[in-house]
Amino acid sequence: MSEEEKKFLEIHDLRKSFGTGEAKQDVLRGMDFTVSKGEFCVLLGPSGSGKSTLLNIIGGIDTPDSGYVSINGDKLKDMDEKALTMYRRKHLGYVFQMYNLIPNLNVKENIEVGAYLSDHPLNVDDVISTLGLEDHKYKYPNQLSGGQQQRVSIGRAVVKNPDILMCDEPTGALDYKTSKEILGLIENCNQKFGNTVIMVTHNEAIRYMADHVIKLRDGVVRHNDINDKKIPASELEW
Amino acid sequence: MKNPLIKRIPKELVGDWQKYLVIVVFMVLMIGFVSGMSVGRDSMLAAINTGKITLKLEDGSFEFKNKASEELIGAIEKGDMADVREYLINKGYEEADEEVAKAIDEELEKQVTEGIETAVRAQCEAYGITDEDMIQSQIDTFMEENYEDALEEARNSDEFKEAVSDAYKEAHEEVVKAVDEKWDETVEEYNLDDPDFSPVKVTVYEHFFKNEDEDFDKDGVKDAAVRVFKSTDEVDKASFNEGRAPEKDNEIAIDRMHASNVGIKIGDTILVGGKEFEVVGLLSYINYTSLHENNNDLMFDAFGFNVAMVTPEGFDSLRTRTHYSYAYFYDVKPSGKVAQADYADKFLKALITQSVVFDNDLEDFLPECYRQASNFAPSDVEGDAAGTEILCYILIAVIAFIFAITISNTIDKEASVIGTMRASGYTKGELIFHYLSTPVVVTLIGAAIGNILGYTWFKEVAVNIYFETYSLPNCGVVWSPVALVKTTVIPLSLMFLINLFVIVRKLQLSPLKFLRHDLRRTKRTKARRIPAWSFMNRFRLRILFQNIPNYAILIFGIVFVEVMLCFAFGLPDSLNHYGDRAPDMLFAKYQYMLAGTKDDDGNELVTANEDAEKFNSTSLLYEKNVTSFIKGRGSGGTTEAVTVYGIEDGSKYVVIGAELNDGEVYISSAFKDKFGFDTGDKITLSEEFANKSYEFTVSGIVDYEGGIAVFMPNDNFISVFDKKEGSFTGYFSNEEITDIDEKYIATVIDKDDIVKVTTQLMHSMGGFMVVAQYVLLVLSAALIFLLTKIIIERNEHSISMVKILGFKNSEISALYMIPTAFIVLLFTLLGFGAGYVILIYVFRAFMLQMDGWFTFYMSTKSMAMSIVYMLVGYAAVSVIDFIRIKKIPMDEALKNVE
Ligand SMILES: Nc1ncnc2c1ncn2[C@@H]1O[C@H](COP(=O)(O)OP(=O)(O)O)[C@@H](O)[C@H]1O
Ligand SMILES: [Mg+2]
Repeated sequence: MSEEEKKFLEIHDLRKSFGTGEAKQDVLRGMDFTVSKGEFCVLLGPSGSGKSTLLNIIGGIDTPDSGYVSINGDKLKDMDEKALTMYRRKHLGYVFQMYNLIPNLNVKENIEVGAYLSDHPLNVDDVISTLGLEDHKYKYPNQLSGGQQQRVSIGRAVVKNPDILMCDEPTGALDYKTSKEILGLIENCNQKFGNTVIMVTHNEAIRYMADHVIKLRDGVVRHNDINDKKIPASELEW
Repeated sequence: MKNPLIKRIPKELVGDWQKYLVIVVFMVLMIGFVSGMSVGRDSMLAAINTGKITLKLEDGSFEFKNKASEELIGAIEKGDMADVREYLINKGYEEADEEVAKAIDEELEKQVTEGIETAVRAQCEAYGITDEDMIQSQIDTFMEENYEDALEEARNSDEFKEAVSDAYKEAHEEVVKAVDEKWDETVEEYNLDDPDFSPVKVTVYEHFFKNEDEDFDKDGVKDAAVRVFKSTDEVDKASFNEGRAPEKDNEIAIDRMHASNVGIKIGDTILVGGKEFEVVGLLSYINYTSLHENNNDLMFDAFGFNVAMVTPEGFDSLRTRTHYSYAYFYDVKPSGKVAQADYADKFLKALITQSVVFDNDLEDFLPECYRQASNFAPSDVEGDAAGTEILCYILIAVIAFIFAITISNTIDKEASVIGTMRASGYTKGELIFHYLSTPVVVTLIGAAIGNILGYTWFKEVAVNIYFETYSLPNCGVVWSPVALVKTTVIPLSLMFLINLFVIVRKLQLSPLKFLRHDLRRTKRTKARRIPAWSFMNRFRLRILFQNIPNYAILIFGIVFVEVMLCFAFGLPDSLNHYGDRAPDMLFAKYQYMLAGTKDDDGNELVTANEDAEKFNSTSLLYEKNVTSFIKGRGSGGTTEAVTVYGIEDGSKYVVIGAELNDGEVYISSAFKDKFGFDTGDKITLSEEFANKSYEFTVSGIVDYEGGIAVFMPNDNFISVFDKKEGSFTGYFSNEEITDIDEKYIATVIDKDDIVKVTTQLMHSMGGFMVVAQYVLLVLSAALIFLLTKIIIERNEHSISMVKILGFKNSEISALYMIPTAFIVLLFTLLGFGAGYVILIYVFRAFMLQMDGWFTFYMSTKSMAMSIVYMLVGYAAVSVIDFIRIKKIPMDEALKNVE
């Protein structure tokens, strides 16, 4: 792996606070780390520790007070709103805890909504079968279970074949079994399509399936570990 | 790849089909109506414009009291102003010469007679004859034998010749002096020294007519006035809608509008001036597209007035007096309104001065550009189209706002989806485009269907409306690209811009805010204070606050519809009210205007009728000083025709104050109300055809609403207007005058003349207003339907939630429907009040532009109805709303959690 690929994503002295005066809260207090290309990276930390804030800044939908994020050498802070939108469009896929599907489009169409954005999308039907949604292709979101909806949401992000797949607590609303399935799918995509994955979670157990684990607390990086002995998602337990 | 979001649009349309159906139907009707009106109008105007050329519409007309001599016509055609000074001097000379000659003859006769008598007496004395009888007989004998010779001799004497020529010279000098003394006045009166004057050459055609009584049911009672012309090929021709021109002297062709209004058909015989005529043709004269009897009539009257064509022989067989009317064409056509006015001005100067020097009286002058009967229809057609367009655009704007609110709610609902889409790289532009598509598509569908219907069905409706109002020449469909723009581009742009504005504002927020459902644009620091009412009422107040944009549009819609309802109910009411009071609007049951005051034998026209009372009247103009939005429409616009009456002392028909000085007058209450005059105010009135004005002081008000009038004692009238002692214009009488031959009667004004305005207006608008009332009822229901639907949909979640909590449907409905009911009721009442006040002002402003006066009136019943209609619309929607609320499932609150 080249030096550039190792520093595919670089976070430098990132700071962010909310509110003013008495109510001022420093959420990120100088964060530094790098993620290399193709890595499965997990951001770990208790609720309220600033994981989502960090992810949103990386995703270009929030801005830091100081410090910078650079991807492939491009600094986000040098981009205007339009350029940021194009950056997200070309390079990022998003999966949230809530599935946020378009209610009056069916499964296939919801995935097409993602494919439309990409210059080199994956085949929609391949993605559907990878996610095990063949039988539900023409169903509408309100006809699906939570786990199925989350699969569609992952499909929508993955079909773009994004450089980085951003997942913010994708299993947060799901039960144990379904959560493991979903994690398996993300792992599968990471291996199959080679996307870099950054996944936010508060679930300690998930660290074992990652290449790279970054632990946050009180706005700073507490641990920054490379995991040599990762295990498949299906073998996780909590 | 096509944007997959497009697939949402048909699903959205199908999924919410009731709403979109209501909207599309709405737009189709409005756009169809406007497009139909536009096409109808364009076709109509095209027919009129072609007709102006092919049917040889005059450039103007004038009327003389007596038939014009060939020399007069020749002089008029040249367009020169006559030499009034020479004429006045010559006329003075003639009169003076006559007087001088008479005086000289008398003097000469006296001298000769005296000379002879003196000579005879001297001789008698010489012969000693003293007997007076003898002397007298001598004188007589001598006188008989020598008088003529003596007279002759005296005439030839140099002395006498000198005296005579002195006398003539002196008299002529007197004449010139008198003319010169009054010259400044004369110059001003006829505007003689206009440096800009240049002759306007014209070609003049005889266009004589007679005003006859028409009795179409032959019961011996006059049914209408008919103006009869001879058939002509030269000017103001007619287009035949049915039948043919008269060929025999007992055949007649009449106006087709009048015929259809009163039910005359081809083959019928009617009485015109007491003589039987067979109707052989139904026509429309190009100079009478609307049947205005007089140019300053407020409204045309296709019931009580008719125009007709007979053969020249038929014309001669009619007994009433001939109106010596002439039509003319300018040799070089003026281009544009300014040139038209300028031409008319110059031509009038020639006309007046020539009529003076040819000893004729100019009775009437009307350039075609001021002619109501040929300009009213096209400008009305145009005005209607403009009016409906504006109404249509207002309603489209309302729909656009309804869309905007719906979309704005959808955006709120879909906030996290939007956030996700934005986060994954959808641009703002793509989303704006997406949310704009539905209103634009719906408008396109509405415009497409609307235009198709407009060009086919609605066009027929519009053409029929106009054909049933005006005597228009036959027409074909004219396809106009302008109409297409107005009915497609404008609604589309309105829809596009209003929604664009709202959507852009809405989507301005960052993706993160969407993801966090944080859609407030400004942070409210404090929670809204809500009074310490019961829980239910506080809840209702919250619903009101939550839905402020909805309620704003609802309120606008209600007020708008309510104002329109006021109009739809108030206009017929105002007309009827005016009609009901018409009998009170006459001084006397009959008001006879005579053509002259003497009959053919030179005797004064008198009546044995004891009820009859002489009066004098003349017509002056009042300069209105209003900024006019329909300037140049007929004679209306900048001047108002004012009738000035001279009233006999102790009149039983018009009561005015006892002692009025010259210049002090009473005015009619209509005059007072229209222009806001009061006692003590000064008013300036001017002559129509001469540059002369009068100032009067208002000393009192005569309670008379029938017209704009000024009253003064007859003696004052005679001195102010320089009339001959004892002259008069006509009679007031409560009983019909039967002993004056009708050929001396110019017009009779009775109740029908007053109500004809409102009869005609009722005919052309009454039916339309009833339709409008129902349309508005549906409109109000549709508006309330759309807006309450939005409010309920927005609250589906919480409605479902309170259902789970155990509230009953009726309780929930009361919770959500009472705020709306309250708003609807409150603003219906306010809207009614606003409409009533607005219409009073609008009526006033409109009438200020027109001749005449009547005010807005609404009966209590109509007031109630205009409110009830709105509430009926609301009641219907409430039922639907109740069902809607009942149908919201309880699991709505549980599923689709975001
Ligand atoms: N827009 C915001 N305004 C104010 N405070 C915020 C905002 N976003 C996040 N926070 C605060 O920042 C802290 C970190 O939030 P977040 O990044 O969502 O935590 P995590 O995802 O780790 O649970 C929380 O205490 C939260 O209240
Ligand atoms: Mg979080």
